[in-house]
Amino acid sequence: MNTSRPLYKPFALDPSGLAHLIVTSLDTPPEGIEDSFDNIEVWTVKHAGPGVPVLAAGGIRPFRSTTEQLAQLGHRLGRMTAGLRFYAIGSEAFIWDAYNIAIAAGMHPSEIFLHRAGPFVRRVYCSHCRTMVEDVPANIVTCPSCEASLFVRDHFSRRLAAFMGVKVDAEVPGEVPAAEVFTS
Amino acid sequence: MKLKIEAIATLTPGIRKFTLAPVDGSPLPHAGAGSHVVLEIPGPSRIWKNAYSITSAADAPAYEIMVRRVEKSRGGSAWLHDHAKLGDVLEVYPPQNLFAPQRLAKRHLLLSAGIGITPFLSYVRLAGLAYEFHHCCKPEDEAAFRALLPSGPQMTLHTSRHTLNLEALLKSQPLGTHLSVCGPESFMDMVLATAAHAGWPAAKVHKESFGGATGGEPFVAHMKRSGVTVTVGREESLLDAMEAAGLAPPCLCRGGACGECKLTVLEGVPDHHDHYLSEIEHAANDAVMTCVSRAKTPELVLDF
Repeated sequence: MNTSRPLYKPFALDPSGLAHLIVTSLDTPPEGIEDSFDNIEVWTVKHAGPGVPVLAAGGIRPFRSTTEQLAQLGHRLGRMTAGLRFYAIGSEAFIWDAYNIAIAAGMHPSEIFLHRAGPFVRRVYCSHCRTMVEDVPANIVTCPSCEASLFVRDHFSRRLAAFMGVKVDAEVPGEVPAAEVFTS
Repeated sequence: MKLKIEAIATLTPGIRKFTLAPVDGSPLPHAGAGSHVVLEIPGPSRIWKNAYSITSAADAPAYEIMVRRVEKSRGGSAWLHDHAKLGDVLEVYPPQNLFAPQRLAKRHLLLSAGIGITPFLSYVRLAGLAYEFHHCCKPEDEAAFRALLPSGPQMTLHTSRHTLNLEALLKSQPLGTHLSVCGPESFMDMVLATAAHAGWPAAKVHKESFGGATGGEPFVAHMKRSGVTVTVGREESLLDAMEAAGLAPPCLCRGGACGECKLTVLEGVPDHHDHYLSEIEHAANDAVMTCVSRAKTPELVLDF
């Protein structure tokens, strides 16, 4: 088993928390939270539809994008008090970006819960030119910056929230095998 | 190392401050915030080894410690209060730190009661440490403690535990705060229970406890490998009894905090008083911290 791949438990609220903030890169909140606890706030992303989203009922706050959502997150956590539990649901890149923001805000790993959901796409770090390639669906991708064909290793950096990409045709230039779509 | 008592001050009727300086004027090992030293204290029948927090600055030329006279003292604090005099030379072990300020904390909530103030006196000397400090003491000791403490909005002195609204305080702390607590067991138990109730994760709550080595029923401990049997009296610890029998078991903090003195239990049921083993490890009953824990059964057999 590859030990650099984090393991994720099924989503569940931590009953020892007094307040809960859930951020998800999906457009719907996780199921089964409505009646669970008081003090639950959910940040979603409204991917489709016209206009600026407004605060929906039931403590759900939709954003236009994960970028906007994560930009707000640090400010919000800076105003929160002890007893909060923080949950991030989405792609590995998204949930670890959120994790790193929460840690920077002074949260402890035991207060943070990550749950991987949505399409199996990866953020890939080009180890040759340090470009981040977002939403990569398969294990071979061309770096948009240095144009190297990258093989996406199963090696995940929590700090960068990205998988490592290294030149796939380093041995024989131009020899690039067929790509395999991610299934995890 | 040999340190001599260079100054003695009476802070309150029950607390004395000692200044311990090197006999030959050589520099002392650095003692970072939260450190403690273990002193060898002569007694009528044996030597006591007691741990005390260092309250002086990290690079001070002498260590300062504060000693509370423990009612029904096992020996150490009574000697320091009744017999210690200027110029006495004591064997002092180099400082250890089991209670350093949390490096990842954005700010620190410090809560202490009585003599539990001592580790935090070194904390508040740290430049730039973001903290809020609440200390509880008896009304008659207020002036003495106020003289030791910094003044300012981050510092509050309570003359009763009951003037401290712990629940409101804990619930209003910014997210990046770590809680550190030191004082009598009953005070720490109350703080820890309130913190858990207010949703604080265990990883952000830190406690310092010395003197947890309360007495109890006598018991017998057999050391299987060394073939030595010791009787642990009502007023001494298992570690004390082993040392008195000429054994040299591992130990460090002598307060149930560091884990150094852990021994494997082969037979018998230990009575756990330490803060090192987890609840699961306590329930397994296959290890004992000799410095503070005792026995529920009349005899223990230890792998030593």
